[in-house]
Amino acid sequence: MIMVETKKIKWMFKKDLMVLWRHKPRLISLILFPIIMITLFGYGMGGTLTNIPVVVVSQSSGPVTDATLNAIKGTNIYDVVNIINDPNKGKQMVMNGQVKAAIILPPNYDDMQSQSPKNVIIDADSSDQMASSALVPTSQALFSQISNQIGIQKLQAMGLSSSAAQSSQVQVQSETQSQVLSSPTPAASGINFQSIVNSINFQINKLYGNISYIDFLVPGVLAMVVLFSCMFGMGESIAGERERGELARLFMTPTSITTIVGGKIISKLTIETGRAVILIVVAIALFGIVIAGSMLLTLLLLVLVALCFVGFGIMISARVSTQEDYMQMVQPITLPMMFMSGVFYPVETMPWIFQKIAYLLPLTYANDALRAVMLKGAGIGAIWLDVVVLLGFTALFFALGVRSFNRDV
Amino acid sequence: MKYCVETFDLTKNYGDFAAVDTLKMKIKNKSIFGFLGPNGAGKTTTIKMLTCLALPTSGTATVAGQDILKNPNEVRQKIGMIPQMVSLYGDLTVKENVHLCGDFYGVHEDLRDSRADELMEMVDIKYAENKPVSQLSGGMKQKASVVASLIHQPEILFLDEPTIGLDPTTKRILWDMVEELNSEGRSIILCSHDMYEVELLCDDVGIINRGLLAAFNTPQGLKDTMITERKNEKISRSSNITKIVEEMQKEASPEENASLNSVKDYVEKKNRDSMELSVMISNLDDNLLTQLENLPITYKITKQHSGRIVIDMEDSEESVTKIISGIIENNGNITSISTKDPSLEDVFVRVTAKKEEVSDDNGGN
Repeated sequence: MIMVETKKIKWMFKKDLMVLWRHKPRLISLILFPIIMITLFGYGMGGTLTNIPVVVVSQSSGPVTDATLNAIKGTNIYDVVNIINDPNKGKQMVMNGQVKAAIILPPNYDDMQSQSPKNVIIDADSSDQMASSALVPTSQALFSQISNQIGIQKLQAMGLSSSAAQSSQVQVQSETQSQVLSSPTPAASGINFQSIVNSINFQINKLYGNISYIDFLVPGVLAMVVLFSCMFGMGESIAGERERGELARLFMTPTSITTIVGGKIISKLTIETGRAVILIVVAIALFGIVIAGSMLLTLLLLVLVALCFVGFGIMISARVSTQEDYMQMVQPITLPMMFMSGVFYPVETMPWIFQKIAYLLPLTYANDALRAVMLKGAGIGAIWLDVVVLLGFTALFFALGVRSFNRDV
Repeated sequence: MKYCVETFDLTKNYGDFAAVDTLKMKIKNKSIFGFLGPNGAGKTTTIKMLTCLALPTSGTATVAGQDILKNPNEVRQKIGMIPQMVSLYGDLTVKENVHLCGDFYGVHEDLRDSRADELMEMVDIKYAENKPVSQLSGGMKQKASVVASLIHQPEILFLDEPTIGLDPTTKRILWDMVEELNSEGRSIILCSHDMYEVELLCDDVGIINRGLLAAFNTPQGLKDTMITERKNEKISRSSNITKIVEEMQKEASPEENASLNSVKDYVEKKNRDSMELSVMISNLDDNLLTQLENLPITYKITKQHSGRIVIDMEDSEESVTKIISGIIENNGNITSISTKDPSLEDVFVRVTAKKEEVSDDNGGN
């Protein structure tokens, strides 16, 4: 009896692989979909903005202006399209959409003797929220550095200097750009000029290294791709076969629903594990993702996530008779799940009601566990609660799915 | 008498709607049974319940001696089904599909392979065994479906609209195959809208309407019943009108009585026991037509094309002979002659047009 049932399960697995192999567009889509997803999300949302086109309006000349221009050119967030001397023309270029910002240096920019402040103006295209939100803090930081160094130069011009000031200057340069103003004339005076120029020292200790947004995003995207693959895959595998009458052929035989569902699970799980491997390889190859924890644990987590969503797919497809009905039922669940489970933003930053909902979604626990392993290097001991919750969801979905599975054709 | 299928108040409700309503039916073992009904009458739902693809709301049935509720897997093992919608995997070849089905029915591998070859030879599809099903024509797909359904040698074969959309030649091949399978001792249950197919193949016919079994008999038995019903209806109608006319005559003047007598004669003539005879005469002319109209047994003659006439005449043992003699005596050349009995389609239309019908325990005997 067990032999016969095993043979049936093997047939279902074999059949799925044969169909996949012979249905080339489906096979290509199966492989390409995760690659496209991770590429789109990775490049589209995960990177830092660079090469934003700007125009610099320089109305003066001299060493400070030259050093500032070099500093701007040396910062990769800017792509200096032109250097002009008419502020109105610069503003017009922004309004015409030729550049995202005009950096306007005042006429007295190079006047080291002047005691009045030098007003640097940035006319930013605030209709492009992404560009302006990246430009503004970067520009503020850049001119703050320049301002500090001008201050130091003035002190030096007054005959006061210190190694501390120089030290401060080097520190700042390493953070942003090294060619801003280089006029080291150290002369120890016993006065800490750093405290004059920069009164606050600020230090950030990144406990898990220099993690960028893409690093934060990849575990969530991995889980999300598995979610979509499993959910849509089960639509084809059960609702589609039911609609085409192929499942009826199996139902007409003396085969239990458990065997049919079991065969579908094993088949789907194997395929999804293969896709998870592709996903990880692509994430490493394209984005240089470093998995801080165990690769095996990451893979096992993805398999568990796949199992959970295969169960979800079975539960939904248990009662529907067409693939279209299945999609109509699945879409209102998957899309909100994608946005509310912390794939793109931490759950804790969402409105409280969404936070409450997020903890009812299995994808939230999948993201949490994957991030812990991939970013923090956590082991099973640190993610056991996520794993238990995911196992609980999986058991619930399968129980409901098998129980309500409809043999009707 | 052994029955391959027996239903006991089999009922299937969808909400408040009874798709099948307390169906009682017995289908003879090793017969070909035609299951007819208009769209939505409950035919497919009944077949689904009998093949364990849907659970009844109440009642039960035995199929091949097994209860569909208690032993569904035993039922499944003993039946094969060729569904309306071909349900083979389109991306698998014919052979792979057949092997898959064999393994799902638990047929031993060696036996499965030899049977598959044998069946594919039988339905003449062996040459296409390595072709994906999706690349086959409709007829070929049906043949492949037949092989997949027979791989476990079922006792009963259910066919749901097996020849729909097939060309006449392929239809005939499938009909021959059905007869061959029946001659091997298999019971066949055939759902079809093709009355010719049903009349040609089936030993018994059941007509389901609005979830109720509206008729059950042999095809000829159904037609005979219809002839009798028609006669009885005419007699009853005539008798009713005659009674009304006679009541009116009691208070009528002699002139009015004469008119009422002609009405009575007309009604009696119109509703007399009649039959229709279709005759083709190669040299039909007006003289011959008049001679035939003047025969006392003739009620009405309708002239059709190419020398064909339909004679509405008295239904008696000598009527046909008298008509033939009348034609020959007037030098007519008869090229074809046939009585016009109701067809199975007439029976179907009549039965399914009735709004109310009580299900009888009349199955198969």
